[in-house]
Amino acid sequence: MIDWEPIILTAKLALVTTTILLILSIPLAYWLATSTSKMKPIIETLVSMPLVLPPTVLGFYLLMVFSPGNTIGGWLLEYLGVQLIFSFSGLVIGSVIYSLPFMVNPIQSGLSSLPASLSEASYVLGKSRIKTLCRVLLPNIKPSLLTGIVLAFAHTIGEFGVVLMIGGNIPEKTKVVSIAIYDEVEALNYSNANTYSLLLFIITFVVLLTVYAINGGYLKRFWK
Amino acid sequence: MITVDIYKVLQAANGNIMLNIQLDIAKGQLVTLYGPSGSGKTSTLRMLAGLMPVDKGHISVQNQRWLCTKENINRSPQQRSIGYVFQEYALFPNMTVRGNLEFALEKRQNTDIIDELIAIVELEELQHRKPNTLSGGQQQRVALARALVRKPKILLLDEPLSALDIKMRSKLQDYIIKVHRQYELTTILVSHDIGEIMKMSDKIYCLEDGKIVKQGNPIDIFTNTRVSGKFQFTGEVIAIKKEDIVYVITVLMDQNIVKVIAQESEIIGLVIGDKVVVASKAFNPMLLKVEV
Amino acid sequence: MNIFSGHISDIQVNESLSLVSIKINEQAILQVIVVETPQTAPYLIKKNPIQVLFKETEVIITKEDIPDISIENKIKGTVNTIEKGILLSTLSMDSEIGTIVAILSTEALQKLNLEKGSVVIAMIKINEIMLAE
Repeated sequence: MIDWEPIILTAKLALVTTTILLILSIPLAYWLATSTSKMKPIIETLVSMPLVLPPTVLGFYLLMVFSPGNTIGGWLLEYLGVQLIFSFSGLVIGSVIYSLPFMVNPIQSGLSSLPASLSEASYVLGKSRIKTLCRVLLPNIKPSLLTGIVLAFAHTIGEFGVVLMIGGNIPEKTKVVSIAIYDEVEALNYSNANTYSLLLFIITFVVLLTVYAINGGYLKRFWK
Repeated sequence: MITVDIYKVLQAANGNIMLNIQLDIAKGQLVTLYGPSGSGKTSTLRMLAGLMPVDKGHISVQNQRWLCTKENINRSPQQRSIGYVFQEYALFPNMTVRGNLEFALEKRQNTDIIDELIAIVELEELQHRKPNTLSGGQQQRVALARALVRKPKILLLDEPLSALDIKMRSKLQDYIIKVHRQYELTTILVSHDIGEIMKMSDKIYCLEDGKIVKQGNPIDIFTNTRVSGKFQFTGEVIAIKKEDIVYVITVLMDQNIVKVIAQESEIIGLVIGDKVVVASKAFNPMLLKVEV
Repeated sequence: MNIFSGHISDIQVNESLSLVSIKINEQAILQVIVVETPQTAPYLIKKNPIQVLFKETEVIITKEDIPDISIENKIKGTVNTIEKGILLSTLSMDSEIGTIVAILSTEALQKLNLEKGSVVIAMIKINEIMLAE
């Protein structure tokens, strides 16, 4: 029988990560969609880096930065009493950075696809940028928001390299499903590994199917 | 009431255009900015609304300064108190017709204005529908009503009727004239439809390459200075046909089609789609009473 | 359209109508009636340069002068070119004010027996002429 702890931990990590990402990505995507700043290509590149970088690279750097022996890690431990490596918080930070493009890109392209006259119409009606964003822009890119949420969620569920590097393999703290699978294989428990794998396979399939169904318009009438 | 003196370098398809516009518009007037596309009409309107930055100049409305680049004054679109109607309607798809109007309300503003405006543009039946279920003309009526919710002093209309068919256009023109008078607005219209301009405007500014090349009363600009004929209408050439030794030119005037006989020398350079003035002496037309 | 330039030589006003005389050159003066007065149309000033316009279809052609006729404007000339159509024909004539073009029925053209060099008189009623600045 498999241990349910990694599954609960994975779900919790994905949920927390997705929530933080949503809060973080809306302003970031809005800035990327509207800004004409010279900094924009640099920020865009940084956001998209996790798409191409091996997760272990990212995990390695985070491990370095957050190690108590390092300046930042040491400062965090000394003044805030927080140790990010080998902890759930560390996992969340790693996951947020790693899944950032999956949330930011759909929202940014959704916002860019809206005609400029929509926000201009709101401005000349005396509405602020924030009110325009919340009441006019975001409600009109619901499919993009959903895509971002689902992709970020699914991607967090499936990550391995970052988690392993920064979190290690501590039961009930950092041992997520992908690591549990690795563990079971190492211990030659192929049947347990198969159960975990099948579970991930099904979840990912369902999640992605939802995205494509919505973007194809099949669920449009339920999503208004 | 509105004085404008703005300067801006516009990037256009074929090189830069130096836009340099001076306007002096009296309260309650309905003026038109007229000119070929790319002449700077829409840019002028957008700069008035604060939607496009100005390189140099000033804009003042009722002795309030909206823009003065010398003194670094530049009110945001939110602070300019204008109604703006876009060519492509720009209604919020996530809100109903009524929701679009309600969104425009200011804090603590009396909501009676919503029902009043819905009644004026005759949208009572459609007020709970979403904009994308409406026709172009209906959508533009919503946009016109929405622009007036905050009771602005100035109404800016950016080719609001160009996407509509002739019948709808004429109806919308009547709505615009109605609200312009009822709310004592000062209205600036961008249009390239001479018939529309003759019907609606008190004054016209003709723009070319970012400069005002002519201004005045539309009748003077388009007709009177040219011929003494009292029987004058503007229309659009919809057919040119040679018959025998003469040409029959079919002209669409508002909603009527008329035919004019012309000589070859009169139609040199005339092509279908051209705007023409059809003129005759007041002595020629016959009047026949219509029995009802 | 026939267009000629001249100067206003006389204006007679009655209520909102004006009978304007336009001197095209030393030989020819055309009379025009308009629903304008010097108050409503600033160009109605004696000696002011002005253009007169009339449609080819409004020109009446005769071979001999008819003294007792209610048409005020008469201009003498010779036929230059004729372009025959089925129902209508175009005739252009050299006159003392320049080339005048007339459109008349092909039947009338044949009845008058007109050809290049024929001496004709073009007649235009006062209410068929328009003024332009």
